[in-house]
Amino acid sequence: MSNWLSAAVEQAQALGEQMPAWRQASLPLLQGARWPTRKTEAWKYLPVNVWEQIKLDAPANPTPQLQAIEGVDSIDLVFVDGRLQNLPASLPAGLTITTFADADSQQAIAELFGQIKPGRHVFGLANDLLATDGLLVQVAAGAAIEQPLRIVNLVSAGEEAHTRVLVRVGAGARVSVIEESLGQGPSRNTAYAEYLLEESASLEHYRFALQGSAAVNVGGAHFKLQQQAQLNSTLVGFGSQLSRLDVDVIHAGEQANAKLNAIYLLDGKELFDLHSTIEHAVPNCTTEENVRGIVADNSRAVFNGRIHIHRNAQKTLAELNNRNLLMSDRAEIDTKPELEIYADDVRCAHGATVAAIDKKALYYMQSRGISRSQAQVMLSFGFINELVEEMPNEALADWLRPQLRERFAAMEVK
Amino acid sequence: MLSIKDLYANVEEKQILKGLSLDIKPGEVHAIMGPNGAGKSTMGYVLSGRDGYEVESGSAQLNGVDLLELEAEERARAGLFLAFQYPVEIPGVSNLEFLKAAVDAQRAARGEEAVSSKDFLKMAREACKQVNLPADFLKRGVNEGFSGGEKKRNEIMQMILLQPKLCILDESDSGLDIDALQVVAEGVNSQRDGERSFIVVTHYQRLLDYIKPDYVHVLSEGRIVRSGDASLALELEEQGYAWLKEQRAADETA
Repeated sequence: MSNWLSAAVEQAQALGEQMPAWRQASLPLLQGARWPTRKTEAWKYLPVNVWEQIKLDAPANPTPQLQAIEGVDSIDLVFVDGRLQNLPASLPAGLTITTFADADSQQAIAELFGQIKPGRHVFGLANDLLATDGLLVQVAAGAAIEQPLRIVNLVSAGEEAHTRVLVRVGAGARVSVIEESLGQGPSRNTAYAEYLLEESASLEHYRFALQGSAAVNVGGAHFKLQQQAQLNSTLVGFGSQLSRLDVDVIHAGEQANAKLNAIYLLDGKELFDLHSTIEHAVPNCTTEENVRGIVADNSRAVFNGRIHIHRNAQKTLAELNNRNLLMSDRAEIDTKPELEIYADDVRCAHGATVAAIDKKALYYMQSRGISRSQAQVMLSFGFINELVEEMPNEALADWLRPQLRERFAAMEVK
Repeated sequence: MLSIKDLYANVEEKQILKGLSLDIKPGEVHAIMGPNGAGKSTMGYVLSGRDGYEVESGSAQLNGVDLLELEAEERARAGLFLAFQYPVEIPGVSNLEFLKAAVDAQRAARGEEAVSSKDFLKMAREACKQVNLPADFLKRGVNEGFSGGEKKRNEIMQMILLQPKLCILDESDSGLDIDALQVVAEGVNSQRDGERSFIVVTHYQRLLDYIKPDYVHVLSEGRIVRSGDASLALELEEQGYAWLKEQRAADETA
């Protein structure tokens, strides 16, 4: 076991009975958990030792400042270095937001906490014990919340921070949640979120991991979909010395639909590892997952996408696609789409490609007078912009696009 | 305007152009016809600088500039425009962004300032109207999901915006119904100003009813084997290319 993990366990042990029961339950699980190594299949390509080796020196940078998103009238919920800032004074009808400390919320927390996130995620178990500040978001049945929730995780240089978010979207309710992580300089961070979508609930979800390359972070977004629930999720990751995201979707009720788009843009010596697992436990559900990345310089992307179709999950429609653009000879992509099918009447497709830029498109653009280098930038950006364009929130897409462009321009300089 | 002299070119080590020569003066429209595999599309690709199209010998000059020495984008900036037979789909890059990048690049090459986004949008909308494409095509990915006819009209719209000196239309009529054909032809004709020259590559005389050529050439086995005025196209329509074989046989015995 690692020193870091041992310290986390000791800290929790010291608290013992002071911890709420829902948190205590994770302690034996974590004690029994194995710290991942290169031999652990799910961590094969990531140097976990960076997690402990990173030097959290005195802050070199001030805490990042939060800026409004133009055209997006969001309800902001901010964690600074793992500490939850003030909750909004007023909320739209049907929306309740409380903290883990709230005495009246304990039952609701216990129903979600660690119930959707699978126990196999070691860092997730650690987060169970370490994320002392947490948010419980509840959307009442039938409520349509127009204002997106923007949950921001600001991590200052030199800090270690752990955050946790629980979201229950009631039957027939609709809400949009943006999870955003920001921070420059060396820091260590775990951020996990669990979402329960009750019958016919609809969630528009975004997760933007936009930290700088010195920030090591491990996190997850975990969803459970009841009957006819609708999930539309967009993930964007910039990578860092160590950046890992686990996404789990459980189709637990029939006629549920999940659409997942993910984008990563990596540069320098950055790493980004996305593991997604979709469980089709019941019949008649759909999954459409599109993952695209651009990998430059010496960076490395890892994608492991598993779709598991249980024996009785007939009439499942599942598509998984991972496309990558390699910008340099030294960049590396390890991609593994996995379909595990135990039902016989399903439609599934998966694919993964690693390619350079389409030469025909390049020539077409040059034939219009656009220089080769500019055409390359436009084509590469277009490759990921296709997924940005699919974001349901256009204003958010307009906000994200220049950030991706800026990132992309920096990648091009080399 | 354009002067091609004794051009030999290979694609994947196969010789396709075999001594092509062609002279085009400002304002002229030249139709190029000929059987499949004669090298008609290759001519356009070689002139526009597509990778993999290797010039073996000969020359091609546009207003005295040696085209063959230039990169593909430099040829475009020198005033060459190729309307593709199969325009390329580029999802994720909007038509508007693509057009503006092209116009800005060409303006920059001429030492002119970039057009403001607002002015450009106006220009682009006007060009859309001219080829009967709804303005929302500007927002869509380049040629993405366009029908065959829409792609061809999109090519003509690009031509209108880029204002080239020499346009090569590579089977701009293929796959078009009669209405779309007229739109394409009107777009082309609107750009005929006595200065701009055109090479119209086509299989069918029909297009030439709408775009009246000054000269018609027959390209066969990589070179021009016969030239005439517009009446030659009518003749070819009637006779087909069987006579080429006879002529070739006669050439060989001689």
